[in-house]
Amino acid sequence: MNSINSKKNSSFYTLIFLPALLVILFLTIYPVVNTLFLSFFKYNYLSDDRRFIGLKNFITIGKDQVFRTAFLNTILFALFATVFEVALGIFLALMFYGQFPGKRPFMIMVIFPMMVSTMVVCAVWKVLYHYDIGLFNYILKSIGLAPVGWLTDKTRALSSIILVDIWQWTPFAFLVLQAGLNSIPREIFEASSIDGAGYFRNLRSVTLPILSSQILLVIMLRTIDTFRIFGKVYALTQGGPGNATETVSYYIYREGFSYFNLGRASAAALYVLAVIALIASFYIRGIMKEEN
Amino acid sequence: MMKKIIVPLIALLFALPPLLFAGGSQEQEGGPVSLTIAGRDGAYGDAMQLACDEYAALHPDVSFEILKLSGSSLFEKTVIDMKGNVGTYDVILIDDPNATQIYKAGWLADLDALYRERGLALDPDFIAPLTMLGRYPYGDAGTLYSLPLVGNVELFAYRKDLIEKYKLQTPDTWDRVMTAAKTIAANEPGVYPVLFRGAKGNPIVTGFLPLFWAFGGKVLVNDKPALDSPQALAALKFYLELAQYAPEGVAMYQSAQVKDAVYAGTGAMAIEVWPGWISDLDNPEVSNVVGKVAVTKHPAQVEKSSPMIGVWLAGIPESSKNKGAAFDFLQFLTSAEMQEKMADVNGMPPTRTSVHKVPALVEKYAWYPAQLDGLQNGVPRPRTTKWKEIEEALGTYLQMALIGDLSAQDALTQANAKIGEILE
Repeated sequence: MNSINSKKNSSFYTLIFLPALLVILFLTIYPVVNTLFLSFFKYNYLSDDRRFIGLKNFITIGKDQVFRTAFLNTILFALFATVFEVALGIFLALMFYGQFPGKRPFMIMVIFPMMVSTMVVCAVWKVLYHYDIGLFNYILKSIGLAPVGWLTDKTRALSSIILVDIWQWTPFAFLVLQAGLNSIPREIFEASSIDGAGYFRNLRSVTLPILSSQILLVIMLRTIDTFRIFGKVYALTQGGPGNATETVSYYIYREGFSYFNLGRASAAALYVLAVIALIASFYIRGIMKEEN
Repeated sequence: MMKKIIVPLIALLFALPPLLFAGGSQEQEGGPVSLTIAGRDGAYGDAMQLACDEYAALHPDVSFEILKLSGSSLFEKTVIDMKGNVGTYDVILIDDPNATQIYKAGWLADLDALYRERGLALDPDFIAPLTMLGRYPYGDAGTLYSLPLVGNVELFAYRKDLIEKYKLQTPDTWDRVMTAAKTIAANEPGVYPVLFRGAKGNPIVTGFLPLFWAFGGKVLVNDKPALDSPQALAALKFYLELAQYAPEGVAMYQSAQVKDAVYAGTGAMAIEVWPGWISDLDNPEVSNVVGKVAVTKHPAQVEKSSPMIGVWLAGIPESSKNKGAAFDFLQFLTSAEMQEKMADVNGMPPTRTSVHKVPALVEKYAWYPAQLDGLQNGVPRPRTTKWKEIEEALGTYLQMALIGDLSAQDALTQANAKIGEILE
């Protein structure tokens, strides 16, 4: 009797789950399969010219100097932006764990950049970075230093965009880590203090190990997000000067939506997917290990 | 009981969409019509709004929905809609560089046929080279797919007060431009001698091509890349020398920066301005250079003045459900009366000869004779479906030369090779 009930229950749950599964399949698996399929074709959406070319798109893109530069830039962007955002997020979370006057308004100020749309953020920073009328060059000039081409100097442009991303997304890391920090019972810190541990010992041996899963989560989320960097490049430099700020997402956008070369855009997108899947797999492995 | 409710509901759910689409696909004859316009934002969007309001006042049965989009968004949305044969839009604006691809795909209604149906003919008042841009294949014999709406052509602007002050010759050749740049650099510390758009892709190419053409350069010859010529090299070397007199961050200059510098009087010569940028040059509320700037056609060199024509065209998607009503509106939109109003109110450059000669407009916009000359004698972008990719490639290598990453020779050699790949 129990077995019949259990089978009935199982069928019921399968039936309930089926619509959601179909939606997931349609919205995630189908686009990935379709992208994979398209990547084997020379396919121009405008002219409808579609020819099977096997792996040629992957090979051509792999040899394309612009794509290589874009890939390297994307990795540098993801690496530096994530490291700084997480490090600053930890610092801010620890700072806000204590009490100090003006904590509330200061906190609103800290999380404000995250609430502003990327295009607005870029418009503001574009003015700040302006060679002639920008605030940064005004400060440099007022202290007797030469102005800097923040977005026009090929050696600085990428780091200037990274700085904008750090400004906008550090609050996200801060909020997640602060939530994690607040969930740690204060008794643990009190106990370790009674045992003679100082602030830094506490931080190294208690706080950071307990926060490690949140830190890992923020690292993964920010790495994936920064790896897809598009809006800031589009609004601030459009990939220039030269190819100094080309990124993979911008490359895909141009191939896909400016030239409508869907085969090449799909192949480039699969390169990105592979990297993101790799990053996610590290995180999932970490989570599984913890669960085990 | 539940079944009795659910089954008819599901049946209705499946039956409703086809019924709705069937209803929507019929062209409306008589009765109220709603036209959806995919247009541009900014001044062009305001001009379109003006035309739609005027038309709706004259034809109360016609209403409008106007989408005011950025250039790239307009292209993406209209392509996806027309490719899918969805029929959302009844009139679309097309930027000239994208026109050939759209015509070739066969997504636009044949305007010649619509003219014949109405017993009308294309008005010869339209500036002839501009109507050729609306035909595919390019030329007089092609089928007409769009009408020229915005008479955009590149112009050259210079501070005539500075040219007079230093007793320089009018900069009507590129050599004279260089001489003037050197003189102004030596004597006017607060003024950038030369301004242009240096951002990669379309901006830098658009600024460079009038100079390149005047030096005898060609991007394509018989659909093959032709940047490996001595003329092309001479043009790029000259351009890079001229760039030494441009602002420090010129490699990232877009239209806003050029326009700001011209209006502020901090630029002596803009090697590229468009009619839409300069409509307020003599408005003392926004301009520091009232009466000081001359706007003319481009300097010549070994070839005659070669400004680039960059019109915006208006067409009717083949998938439109209101082609007849859209055609009537298109006639109104491009009429001499409406163009005159849009020019007067919104500063939109006309595409008709007669409107360029309206005395009140010529008085208001002193560069109209130069603009008309440019539209009649200017050079259109090469007519290829691959222009966007070619422009991006050329723009990337030009900018690399501008920022010193590549020599002029290497930039042209690499651009030539890349364009060859694109055309394969």
